[in-house]
Amino acid sequence: MDSVTKRFEDLVAVDDLSISVAKGELLGLLGPNGAGKSTLTKMISGMINPTLGTIKVGNFSVQDESIKVKEILGVVPQDIVLYDYLNAKENLAFYGRLYGLSGRKLSNRIDDLLRFTQLDEKAVKRHVSTYSGGMKRRVNIAAALLHEPKVLLLDEPTAGLDPQNKHALWEIIQSLNREGKTIVLTTHIMEEAEELCSRVAIMDHGKIIALGSPSELIKKVKMENTITVVPDIVSSRLIEQIKGISSVRKVYTAPSENEENESIKVITDCPDEILPDVVSTIVNNGTKVLSVQLSRVTLEDVFIMLTGRSLRE
Amino acid sequence: MKIGRAFNQVAAVAKTDFLGVFRNKTAIFFTLLFPLFFIVIVGFTFGNTGTGDLSRIVVGVVNLDGGLVAVNATDSGNSTIGDLFVQAMESANFTVNGYEEYGDREENGTAAYAISRGDIDAIIVIPANFTETLAFQYTDNSGMPIPTRAHLELYIDPTYPTSSQITQQSILGFTSGFVKEYQQVAVEQTPPNMQEFIRVIADPIIVTIGETKGTRELPWINYMVPGTLGLVLIWSGLNHASMTIATERTKGTFQRMVIAPVSPMVVLLGKLISAMSIVYMSAFIMLLSGVLLFQVNLYWNIPVIILAIFLGALSAIGIGLIISSITKNEEAANSIAVIISVPLQFFIGAFFPLNIMPEAAQVFGNALPFTKLVNAMQEIMTRNLPFDAVIPEMLYLTASGLILFTLGTIAYRITLKRL
Repeated sequence: MDSVTKRFEDLVAVDDLSISVAKGELLGLLGPNGAGKSTLTKMISGMINPTLGTIKVGNFSVQDESIKVKEILGVVPQDIVLYDYLNAKENLAFYGRLYGLSGRKLSNRIDDLLRFTQLDEKAVKRHVSTYSGGMKRRVNIAAALLHEPKVLLLDEPTAGLDPQNKHALWEIIQSLNREGKTIVLTTHIMEEAEELCSRVAIMDHGKIIALGSPSELIKKVKMENTITVVPDIVSSRLIEQIKGISSVRKVYTAPSENEENESIKVITDCPDEILPDVVSTIVNNGTKVLSVQLSRVTLEDVFIMLTGRSLRE
Repeated sequence: MKIGRAFNQVAAVAKTDFLGVFRNKTAIFFTLLFPLFFIVIVGFTFGNTGTGDLSRIVVGVVNLDGGLVAVNATDSGNSTIGDLFVQAMESANFTVNGYEEYGDREENGTAAYAISRGDIDAIIVIPANFTETLAFQYTDNSGMPIPTRAHLELYIDPTYPTSSQITQQSILGFTSGFVKEYQQVAVEQTPPNMQEFIRVIADPIIVTIGETKGTRELPWINYMVPGTLGLVLIWSGLNHASMTIATERTKGTFQRMVIAPVSPMVVLLGKLISAMSIVYMSAFIMLLSGVLLFQVNLYWNIPVIILAIFLGALSAIGIGLIISSITKNEEAANSIAVIISVPLQFFIGAFFPLNIMPEAAQVFGNALPFTKLVNAMQEIMTRNLPFDAVIPEMLYLTASGLILFTLGTIAYRITLKRL
């Protein structure tokens, strides 16, 4: 994407944006609503043309070689875009035929993707209107995979899903990336970007304001991941033992919130991994753990640092 | 290869669009069942009008003939001809209700009470001296009959102008026939050398109603059925086309089609085929139900009927595409389609002839392609005229179909830029 700008009358939705995505990469476009993510995906998919600049998918120009781009690009829209009155198989057959598939090739591809959607035989024959949100999402993704695209564009793929379905879908996205598909994923959920993306572009007001791996971006924030533990007794021996846990950068004590007990603050780069070790060290010392609090630096903090606003605002 | 692929894509779009109607109860009702429902209602309501069935006309008869009247200073109570008149009415198939008196609209059981409530369509009051008058019982001192006319009173319920006119014409027609029968009998009582002379004086002009060549009398339903083809175009063609793109755009399926390697014209062609199929299916149901349920007796010039429906449907679908493209979502498209199609159906000559409408309405109605279709179909199906006779209508349908469908296509292409 080279110097891409999209204007809607006075509104500049995408402002002189340049970025390239490597083959096999999973790039996240993270930003609040109105940041320009959807406009960008519409331009990549050829639904709208940029006002200025050029976009290429593979080696093909979206503006000049749209058919070739469409043949290697799979787009999963944010909304469930399926025909309610058709079943999963009929929906896939319809989209497959639009992409030029027919006959045995189409039916084999549908069978493969129905396995991918994990729908049981009865569900496959039911109209999509009777499916749960998770089932619809999976069929929605399958419909974009029929023509075996090399590049996949996922627009807010987990919007509206419960945590269980969201994690199941993350696994699907990761497996597609492992298969070698280049994926561009738009999201406003920081956990999603952190969990899935090898690189994240944080967007605001039509511009990319930060670009890098999630850990690189987090390091830019002058904050640290902190585990705060309140034991019933704090001893210097306990402090030393905790300092000995690998990945612990610093340990110090401070008054707890209720000010009755002292708390131990543990600074680390990987709080999730060492939390069990910290707790077990305290318990093995014959000390009770009264409370544990984990404070992690996230991409949300990166966004707040860069814009002064929350992603959800 | 490319043609095969495009054909496959067109078929996919058409099939999916078609299933959208057949798997949606509301769409099935308005597209297919409503025309059937309509023809059934129309058929049972108006199916037999125009066939001279007088049993629908309910006449209240106050037969005072037989009451005592003074004739030549003597009381007479003869009711022979009055009774004959009533019997003749019943034989002519009028529904006759007898009443004792004309009465008052507030007085239950009287003829005036019944007509004021619409229970009867007309009242005939037969005077007490009906028989005596017609039997020439009034004589002068020398015994010569005094020429006296019998005086029937006829009252028509004027509430519904059209039906009151039909009632009046039917009763006057019957009375005229009865008078002729009476004249025949009366003339035979006169000396033979005078009979022909009297007949000529009584009936100086004879009007012969001959059978018009190449025409036939048809019940109204036979005119309605070809007319309903115009309604099919509006209900199925215009309404379906106005909803199809708007609905897909609202749901996002249209956008998903656009990002596939499909030409927008392929999508449009698929939609056109689906809409045409629905129009033809709807027309087939309408015509078949007319034939099966009401035994309509029409002429079936199938190629011309198919061609006319195709040309008319192009106009309907063109208007639908324009509506679909200029509206923001399916609700707005539906509202505009209803606002346009509901009044439109009264101007196409399907329900009643355009020539009874005000001048401006006639001009508007005659400009509509659907009116041309109705006219052409009525000419072909009821009058059995050849294709030549409807060439002006067909040319009009072709021109309007091409213009409106082209405008619809332009509007559709503009839609693509607004996604």
